[in-house]
Amino acid sequence: MVLPELKEFCLPETGSEVISTLDKYGDGSLLVAGGTFIHGLEARGFLSGVEALIDLNQLGLDTIEAVKHGVRVGATTKFAALEQIPGFDTPAFGALRDALSYPPVQIRNQASVGGSIAASCPFFDVPAAFQVLDGSVTVEGGVGSRDLPLEAVYSGLFENSLAADEYIASLLIPEQHARSASAYLKLETNANDLALVGVAVRITVGSALGRKDKIRDARVVLGGGLNQTFVRSPAAESVLDGEVVSDELFEKAAAAIAADIDPISDQRCSAEYRAAIGKVYVRRALQQATQRLK
Amino acid sequence: MKQLITLKVNSEEHEVAVSPDATLLQVLRNELGLLGTKRGCDTSACGCCTVHMDGKAVYSCVTYAMSVQGSEVTTIEGLGSNGKLDPLQDAFIEAGAVQCGFCTCGMIMSAKQLLGDVKNPDEEQIRHAIAGNLCRCTGYTKIVDAIKIAADS
Repeated sequence: MVLPELKEFCLPETGSEVISTLDKYGDGSLLVAGGTFIHGLEARGFLSGVEALIDLNQLGLDTIEAVKHGVRVGATTKFAALEQIPGFDTPAFGALRDALSYPPVQIRNQASVGGSIAASCPFFDVPAAFQVLDGSVTVEGGVGSRDLPLEAVYSGLFENSLAADEYIASLLIPEQHARSASAYLKLETNANDLALVGVAVRITVGSALGRKDKIRDARVVLGGGLNQTFVRSPAAESVLDGEVVSDELFEKAAAAIAADIDPISDQRCSAEYRAAIGKVYVRRALQQATQRLK
Repeated sequence: MKQLITLKVNSEEHEVAVSPDATLLQVLRNELGLLGTKRGCDTSACGCCTVHMDGKAVYSCVTYAMSVQGSEVTTIEGLGSNGKLDPLQDAFIEAGAVQCGFCTCGMIMSAKQLLGDVKNPDEEQIRHAIAGNLCRCTGYTKIVDAIKIAADS
């Protein structure tokens, strides 16, 4: 990793030190927590002007804490630690378990929660699960702290909406409904590959799954190049909400994502292929989540 | 500008002068002469550079040396003791799991974490544990056999 303009590697121990370093270097600063995607940003030409790397690992943000209405996960928490989240083994957290099963052990040991979000890379797996679980982040900066839903963090491919002096301090995953189940599915070419298509879904039903159980609060999150960022599919969600679980319904919801995608075409696969696979994966993910309710 | 840092590698402390963007892999190979850890893709995809940081497998090619201060790094040279190879190293020899050898050290470091976490891993667990390590020679069969032998020993 060659950063030709790099002057300093900073190891701040407090939030105010982070902010003052961000102030000092402005756009020439880059926050690091896991560091596993820096080569990816470098290869895409984003790092030529980086003058300061700011390592957040001394801030004590590697915590997982049960809070009143959910769980708060510190930004430098590594993927491998996420299995300590209360309720991790429940159907509701299925998407997170699925997403964590894809990256190899080295990435699970190194990649951080905050970094995976801040990178604004729709080809990642784990942030799709955070979003389908209605995750939001707390951002710290010069003007204080603010909370943002994940969809508000992503402003474009590899671009986030944070101000130059802001950093992600933590992720809040709200308490999940006891009758919720989620799933994440990814199309990849090998175990260490970025997603060609990645979809996460969550459904919630009233009581024991049966003919009369209507879905509510459905979530469909599309990633892996189905758009420039992770996006929800309101069209698919509205097909699902208020309806009874069935394969026909899932087929209809999958077809509905066409209204919410604008697939990327690149050397790895065409937009048409992504659109076609996206539908198949939404249907399969909905079926997988349903299995978890049984 | 280079900065003086202290790294603990294989239970020994080393003072090294590093540039701010130096990776752990560069320091291990170029400053400390520990050539068992290999530079393959240099983009966290092939696993040849796998070492342990505080007992966990990491890609040293995407780990900044500056970040490693205060952690315990173990490389392939740090396995085994009293002149004897680690059981995993012996098993790789016994199973014939080495062809060109370029991936071997990284494979062993990933397998080492698996055997620390799981007492009797099945084949699926073994294959999952080495999913972040590429081998272009063996087809993985002998590597999986070697890890099974080490688990049973």
